Amino acid sequence: MRQHVGDKEEPAISASENLYANNWALFRRGLLDGFSLPAFMVAASMIGYGALVHSAGLSLAFGVVSTLGIWGLPGQVALIEYMLLGAPLVSMLIGVSLANMRFLPMSMSLAPLFRGSKSGWRLRYLWVQFMSVNTWVGLLRRVPELSPDQRGPFYAGFSTICMIAGAGGVSAGYLMAEAMPFYVTVTLVFLNPIYFAFVFAAMRARAGLLAFAAGAIAGPPMYILTPEWSLPLAGIIAGSVGYFADRFLRGRS
Amino acid sequence: MTGEVTGMTTAYIWALLGMAIAVTYLWRGLGTTIVAGIDPDSPVLQWVACVAYGLLSALISRIVFLPVGVLENTELVDRVGATVFGFVMFFLFKKHIGVGTLSAAGAFGVLVWARSQGFI
Repeated sequence: MRQHVGDKEEPAISASENLYANNWALFRRGLLDGFSLPAFMVAASMIGYGALVHSAGLSLAFGVVSTLGIWGLPGQVALIEYMLLGAPLVSMLIGVSLANMRFLPMSMSLAPLFRGSKSGWRLRYLWVQFMSVNTWVGLLRRVPELSPDQRGPFYAGFSTICMIAGAGGVSAGYLMAEAMPFYVTVTLVFLNPIYFAFVFAAMRARAGLLAFAAGAIAGPPMYILTPEWSLPLAGIIAGSVGYFADRFLRGRS
Repeated sequence: MTGEVTGMTTAYIWALLGMAIAVTYLWRGLGTTIVAGIDPDSPVLQWVACVAYGLLSALISRIVFLPVGVLENTELVDRVGATVFGFVMFFLFKKHIGVGTLSAAGAFGVLVWARSQGFI
């Protein structure tokens, strides 16, 4: 089932090879990987979003479709905020789009992981729709042990459980909205960003860690300077700091 | 943030949602197209991954220090204090993501609750 493409070396797969025997096993492996912390965190964060949808007087169907369709919490929240404000169409679309701009560098990092697999590469435009910070990190963590052919089914399984958890979370939040006290709502909203902070802080790659630290420092001042453009600018600055600081440190040791 | 969406027909709301999904997919599809001819191990893509990390981290940091929306109604000291507590626990428990997350969120919930009860 694995194939060599060009002169690329296959990643070494050790004793765990039989665990990845076929696509279905890989899909289940992805389901299980996602079923622990990631799916729980998606569900909890989307409970907060469900409550927001309810308070805006929108339908449950809107909550579920916006979650699975936009599949990026900042953009979803921005959409509802703009609808509440009755903002002009163009400004609303630019706002929603910018809130999810992280998907550009993320898809540039995700899509190439499927190169070297015929079926995986063919489905790349579908894979990026499943992509959230959770599923992106979930796949990146397993990349060293999965061959390109194994990544598609694993990623599909991981994404499936996260999307089920997301749809379930929105529905739960929507239905419980009126019963939720303020401290629960704000804690659920706080949970999502703070979870990602720890996901990134646990990374092994030094360049990524340095970029993470630089971004944390650059974020707030850049926002004060230019709210609309703070994210792409802070990303480019912090990413460059991390990338080049890592190269510099590697050159010295 | 309170209030309901008014003055929009159901059809218009769904059309808006369709457009919001489309403009979000634009980034996903654009990234996939740009990257088609680039070697996955190239320095350019390692830099792009760093940009993604930096951007997400800037977003998280902005939410903690300068939130918009419902978190605006919480205290800065609660958000920062809970985050710092979470990181202390995270490192005490050998970089355990679950321990860090639940400590930070738990501390935040307790702080907001205690404030609402007038304990702090």
